[in-house]
Amino acid sequence: MIQVDIKLKRDNFDVIVNETFGMGITGIFGPSGSGKTSLMNAICGLARPEKGSINLNGKKVFSTDEKINTPVEKRRIGYVFQEGRLFPHLTVEKNLRYGMKSGDQDGFFNKIVSLLNLGHLLKSKPTKISGGERQRTALGRALLSSPQLLLLDEPFSALDANLRQQILPFLLKIHQTINIPILVVSHDITDLLKLTNRICLMQQGRVVGHDDYHELLKKPELQHCFSNHSLINAITMKVSRVDLESGITQLSYGESHNWIKVVVEKSRLNYQKDDNIKIFIPSDDIALSAHRLPNVTIQNQLDGVIRDIIERENVRICIVDVGFPLLVEITAESLKRMDIEVGFPVWCLFKSVAIDVAG
Amino acid sequence: MTSLFQFTGSELEAIKLSVGVAIYSSLISLPIALLLGYWLARKQFPGKAIIESLIHLPLVMPPVTTGYILLLVLGTRGFIGQWLYSTFGIKLAFTFEAAIIASVVVSFPLIVRSIRTAIEMVDPGLEDASRILGVGRLKTFFQITVPLAAPGIISGTILAFARSLGEFGATITFAGNIAGETQTLPLAVFAYMQVPGREIETLRLVVISVLISFVAMALSELYIRKMKRS
Repeated sequence: MIQVDIKLKRDNFDVIVNETFGMGITGIFGPSGSGKTSLMNAICGLARPEKGSINLNGKKVFSTDEKINTPVEKRRIGYVFQEGRLFPHLTVEKNLRYGMKSGDQDGFFNKIVSLLNLGHLLKSKPTKISGGERQRTALGRALLSSPQLLLLDEPFSALDANLRQQILPFLLKIHQTINIPILVVSHDITDLLKLTNRICLMQQGRVVGHDDYHELLKKPELQHCFSNHSLINAITMKVSRVDLESGITQLSYGESHNWIKVVVEKSRLNYQKDDNIKIFIPSDDIALSAHRLPNVTIQNQLDGVIRDIIERENVRICIVDVGFPLLVEITAESLKRMDIEVGFPVWCLFKSVAIDVAG
Repeated sequence: MTSLFQFTGSELEAIKLSVGVAIYSSLISLPIALLLGYWLARKQFPGKAIIESLIHLPLVMPPVTTGYILLLVLGTRGFIGQWLYSTFGIKLAFTFEAAIIASVVVSFPLIVRSIRTAIEMVDPGLEDASRILGVGRLKTFFQITVPLAAPGIISGTILAFARSLGEFGATITFAGNIAGETQTLPLAVFAYMQVPGREIETLRLVVISVLISFVAMALSELYIRKMKRS
């Protein structure tokens, strides 16, 4: 657990944060220049706050009142930078071992190397490997220093969409293997949602919201924070049936009678019945209908009730309770034409191909 | 022509002295220049420009004046030299040590400049990354900064070495031209030039000077290339 209560001077504004971050992954989301990286730097000790205290797992590493300022190298924090920052004069293996204590066993090293699929790169120099491999090496190097907290600063932004897809499963695996708090900074909400639904929203150096993504969306004062992004549904569901031949997977959510059907390529069928997987549905890929449509190719038709309607310029975002909250983006004109409002029953329609499965 | 490579005792002495002064002065300059170069490359502080100008002063001053200032400061009647002599009985001026001191002072700007530029090229983010991984400042300096700045550090050291080999003005003023003690190659060449009929000896020493400087430069160039390739 990390408790941060700091005031940090920046050139154009102050970063004032008083937050507690728990175990698991927290996404720090905000536009460029909102103080996300400054917050990271204060936590790891690269930046010195003017005032306040930082508590790492019950140990004070910084406090202006008690005059504590644990040096960077003693804080035991793993930090993965946007550009990786691998040491160019050392091989991948030496980079990975750089922060390891001499007494550390090879078992852990081998485990991380196989987890991140780095075995074939150990003898290479960082300049000779791909961007995704560099990021994986940086991640492995941070983990091998046995940190009590992992910070990831825009870990995807140097990677193209394809490489992002490749690194995400590694991050999720890490999270399942090593139980430490992980803070991921990004200005891309879709990237963050692929890792976690717990979002800490930053603007102008302040935390303006820190909650589940769907809870944040409900707050009218925070909606402008997401306004530049097409909203995405990120839902963790249980595999209730999987057909290995066709790849058709049926997903359920808690006690809800609604279920979702998704077709997954065979090569990505790495889960079994009763596993929890996370799926993503862009809110503008979902249509609303007043009735169930009998003869259509659309596989997924979920019935629910409109809980809230968020107005944003000429679009309306309906939060539909289908057993779980589902965001549906429609035009203001459609909403008017359908004559629906909060409390109305509706059907949410989307094709199986609109669904993206994590991992 | 056979006599061209038959060195006399005093000539060998001059060669030995020159190489000795150059090696000692480079070895003394290197650690100080590393610290100073790092400091100038990484830290911002008031009066930095003044410190920089002071360090670079011997580069633009006539070496003879540098030697004279050294004499004023460290000579037996200079304000530090007098104290050294009365307290420890140490006499610096007109000794082998004086030749080394003159060389260090004159070549120091070159090595500091070179190292400073090399360290400025090393991404400070890599040093931060090293410290976050639990490695302290000093170890980070030697494991990250120094290896990455190595080509600049080596060429700076060689530059200082070569400058020491060629040092004349400050040496003759502060250390004198004493055969076997402070008479380095350039001073010996100068001494021979004063005597008619010593053209062969002069030429011999000139060739040797060129050879030593050339070998030093070539070795550093090869080493840097090898490092860049790996």
